[in-house]
Amino acid sequence: MGGISLNYLVRRLLVFFLTLWVAATLIFIIPRLAPGDPIAAMVARLSYQAGFVENSNAIIEGWKERFGLNDPVYVQYVRFLGGLLQGDLGYSMARFPATVTELVGRALPWTIGLVGISTVIFFVVGNLCGALLAWKRTPRLAKVVIPMSMIFTSIPPLLAGLLLSYTFAFLLGWFPQSYSYGFGMTPALNLEFILNVIHHGTLPAMAIVLVTFGYWALGMRGMMVTIEGEDYMILAQAKGLKPFYVLYRYMIRNAILPQMTALAVSIGTLVNGVVLVEVIFNYNGMGTLIVTALREQDFGLIQGTAFILITTSALAVLIIDLSYPLIDPRISLEGR
Amino acid sequence: MSEKRNGSGSRTVLKVEKLRIHYATPQGDVIAVSDISFNLYEGETLGLVGESGCGKSTTAYGILQLVQPPGYIVNGSIEVDGTEVLNLGEEDLRKFRWTGLSLIPQGAMNSLNPTMRVKDQIIDVIESHEGRQRDREALRERIFELFQNVGLPNRIYNMYPHELSGGMKQRVCIAMGVALHPTVVIADEATSALDVVVQRIVAQTLIKVKDEIGVSLIVIGHDMGLLAQIVDRIAVMYAGKMVEIAPVNNVYAKPLHPYTQLLIDSIPSIKERKPLKITEGITHDPRNPPSGCIFRLRCPFAWQHCAEVEPPQIMIEDLHEVACHLYDEQFAERRANALATIANS
Repeated sequence: MGGISLNYLVRRLLVFFLTLWVAATLIFIIPRLAPGDPIAAMVARLSYQAGFVENSNAIIEGWKERFGLNDPVYVQYVRFLGGLLQGDLGYSMARFPATVTELVGRALPWTIGLVGISTVIFFVVGNLCGALLAWKRTPRLAKVVIPMSMIFTSIPPLLAGLLLSYTFAFLLGWFPQSYSYGFGMTPALNLEFILNVIHHGTLPAMAIVLVTFGYWALGMRGMMVTIEGEDYMILAQAKGLKPFYVLYRYMIRNAILPQMTALAVSIGTLVNGVVLVEVIFNYNGMGTLIVTALREQDFGLIQGTAFILITTSALAVLIIDLSYPLIDPRISLEGR
Repeated sequence: MSEKRNGSGSRTVLKVEKLRIHYATPQGDVIAVSDISFNLYEGETLGLVGESGCGKSTTAYGILQLVQPPGYIVNGSIEVDGTEVLNLGEEDLRKFRWTGLSLIPQGAMNSLNPTMRVKDQIIDVIESHEGRQRDREALRERIFELFQNVGLPNRIYNMYPHELSGGMKQRVCIAMGVALHPTVVIADEATSALDVVVQRIVAQTLIKVKDEIGVSLIVIGHDMGLLAQIVDRIAVMYAGKMVEIAPVNNVYAKPLHPYTQLLIDSIPSIKERKPLKITEGITHDPRNPPSGCIFRLRCPFAWQHCAEVEPPQIMIEDLHEVACHLYDEQFAERRANALATIANS
């Protein structure tokens, strides 16, 4: 019977933290290899706005000292890692004195909500469509309509976002064009606010679902066709089981297993798409935050957002990994 | 060999008449089963043998209404206990399945759903036909009893198929096959993936369960030696045709049809090495079978008449039929010569 041993759990968690460490190190190194000096850039921006900044060199030096950029690299590295361990992602350089943790804390729930809900929708809808495409008893009409709805699959997510935004927000005005909730509303757990959030989230979520579910439908259809030829399918038919029961208990139940693996693998790619969709809808989540950080060369924020995105992706993969024994009895994570 | 319990006076539980099954291909239909007729009597075990591709499995799947596309049933009649199977509507057919005819499948290794516990796969067949079982304890006892019938330990109740050995999986399939006490059970090469010892044990389990529950059994296989141990009658198929059907002792002692003779002759002996004779002659294109007798291209005794007239099934004695012109009384002289040739070889 499937189960997870403590041994496996510990090993798997070690891999998880190793991933985070490697990610943190890369995140630390890459911005330091990039050309440009963020503080000089900031001061330059100030002087551009004010015409002239007195003692600009002194300001640059002061800030460098403040952010610890004059220390040797290894000291900076240790300080960076130590900060991460305490959940301290440092300061945003462009929006000082706001901390990265603060900014991320405000943006992350929106992205997790958006990604989570769209993932559930495209995974369920995609696999259901794929299963129906392969099932012999599906009405002919459905077999014509479902492939037609998959034409969006070949469109990049940002283009789908633009199309939806133009059609449903700009032309028809059914949905708001941007932001995750109405201006002037305070986030609260009441029906009005929740409905407002759903209203704002529909278009971004649709953009993600539309471009994604077709892949899942095609993958599922292929798996279903393979399962159709299995010996146990013939026996299920011979047993005189009810057709709908055979569909979900024999076919979908077995065809879904590789799809779960594919989901774990695709989470990274999914996040890429979400970043672009968020920017198009000016959705105040991680994607918008990351793009702002890049535009402002805000090193602290770039590092922080990237690290948080990697952490959440790794966490999602970890959860799917650990849930394998629950969905496939043949996989046992008990150590030997 | 035990005494046969089935004289011709026994009730017929399965009556197959002129069953014809084709596989559609772009180059025309392949005739897989060609107008086969036979009866199965109550409590009888019938062995269905022949080379690979002779249509024995297709016959079984035809009887079960499970011919997979591009195969289709062209014509024929299949009566189980007086019910014409081919006329059943979809829902009636679903209800008839497993209660009238059940299957012990060919690939027991892959015939169980890998994501369902053993108990759930037996429970689902019971509940689909008898409705939801409220008394779970009684249901459990019923399954334990099935396990006991086929010699399975109760501990596999909660196991998944991958936790069982091949022999155990095959037993689960047998237990499942008889769970609803069907009229006829068809075992499609139920033992071919197992080693000889387990094969023998599983085959004996099959017969024991059959006798206890009182079902009729069709065993499909190509292991003539194993079949000789367990069946009452043997039906020999060649290229979609039934060439001989006879009590098991007759088939081994005095095979009549030239094909049966060659088939018996090709059973490997562990005592001596002997050449394979059946490779002589050519096989035909299954889309265009030869005129007359299906076997004439490979038959050592064929003559002009075999190409002109298709041999009818000739009743030699009680329960023994053969489709060969040699046994037509007007060709008695040829038969005598042929038998002499065999005796000399």
